[in-house]
Amino acid sequence: MSNNRRKVLLVDDNAIDLKVNSKVIHLSGLFEEIVLCQSAEEGLSYLSKNIDQIDELPDFILLDIQMPDMDGFDFLEVYKKFPKKLKEKCVIAILSSTLDFGDIKKTEANPDVIKLLKKPLILNELEELLKKYFII
Amino acid sequence: MNATTARVLYIDDEENNLHAFKAGFRRQYEIYTANSAAEGLKILENISVHVIIADQKMPQTTGVEFFRSIVHTYPDPVRILLTGYTDIEALADAINHGDIYRYITKPWNDLELHNSIKNAYDAYKTKIDLRNKIAELEKTNDELNRFIYSISHELRAPLVSAMGIVNLVKMEGLFESSGEYWSLIETCSNKLDYYVQKTLQYYKNSKEISAHTSIDFKELVPSLIDLYSFTDKETYFHTDIKQDIPFYGDAFRIEVILGNLISNAIKYQKEDSINKKVDIEIQVRPTEAEITITDNGMGILNEHLEKIFTQFFKIKTNQGSGLGLFIVKEALNKIDGKISVKSNSLEGTTFKITIPNVK
Repeated sequence: MSNNRRKVLLVDDNAIDLKVNSKVIHLSGLFEEIVLCQSAEEGLSYLSKNIDQIDELPDFILLDIQMPDMDGFDFLEVYKKFPKKLKEKCVIAILSSTLDFGDIKKTEANPDVIKLLKKPLILNELEELLKKYFII
Repeated sequence: MNATTARVLYIDDEENNLHAFKAGFRRQYEIYTANSAAEGLKILENISVHVIIADQKMPQTTGVEFFRSIVHTYPDPVRILLTGYTDIEALADAINHGDIYRYITKPWNDLELHNSIKNAYDAYKTKIDLRNKIAELEKTNDELNRFIYSISHELRAPLVSAMGIVNLVKMEGLFESSGEYWSLIETCSNKLDYYVQKTLQYYKNSKEISAHTSIDFKELVPSLIDLYSFTDKETYFHTDIKQDIPFYGDAFRIEVILGNLISNAIKYQKEDSINKKVDIEIQVRPTEAEITITDNGMGILNEHLEKIFTQFFKIKTNQGSGLGLFIVKEALNKIDGKISVKSNSLEGTTFKITIPNVK
């Protein structure tokens, strides 16, 4: 990592979840910077806007599945085409309340997703996961 | 003529027969006639006919050949074959390839032919009704599936948000700040979530078609234990899984079955016991997997043993939903599995399950 300011991008259309999850992450101290996006489009435009400033790109994305217009899977379709330098720096986990077997299978099959976390976001689970990818 | 009048097409190369037919039946049916298979086909192209009667012996195309030629293009009209002589071969052919409803010998008897047409039209209506019913059911089924999908998201999402808030309250050390209120909210949320999840499991079990995948019990069982012992770390799990050969089965239902039994084994422990234990043994054979789940919990009363697999059966002393074991049984029924139970209040409960290895 080029600097120590670790950044996480939260993508969720649900304002309450966005608030609660950013608070959980803030209290955990796992990330120095938290970027909140209320839609998949907003998340993608954040990424493309900053694509040439590697320091501005997130290290971790927590992505919801069920969102109006563009859902989490649509987000991943576009993300797939982003340059390597982003993917080398950043990992994605899905954060969803889904119990749908199809959703779970689809998530597991996606090479860009490291895990499907179930809502509510539990700090221990997040730490366990991130331990494998970052030095915490 | 009303809308339910049968439309009958009669094909015969003998004009006299066509006239006789018209004269005999025009009051009862809407009649179309053709003097060759080719002419008959032209009528079929323009009019939706319910019953087709064709003479077997015609110069270019025989009745059977004609019926055979329209099996795929016009499958709906019900067919009646008229023959002047008993040609077994033609009949066999007609039945095997022409999808013939009835055959009638010439010269026909008006009453016999009339009854045959009437029955054929009834058969036509039944066929169409059945098709409409199937389409309707498929639509309902599809809607129900979408309803379940949306329930799983729309109903559960705000609930899970609330659980997230409770979780945050804990992190901020405020859980005890309002007496027991937060913990009551947590209990209610968990309970509602449990009901939503069980309802979904039940519907998914009754709808979903079995999909067979390879199952590694050595992986599956520990992950289920992790999942269900998340809220209760006191129960000690011992597993002995003997799987040297591949096992194929319905992953969704097997997860549901084991998940419910493991969660029960945790839930129905003796509250003040300091030695809560669950033992899971699995033996995978080429024909089946035998699974034994033993706990040293509160046990099941003898008089309750018969009822535990029925819907909404629950005991007063515990806050079960009465759905868990019912779903286990339903899921096992879907995959031809078996379950038996032994229990007493001193030693606890043992469930023994066999699930066929479908490879």
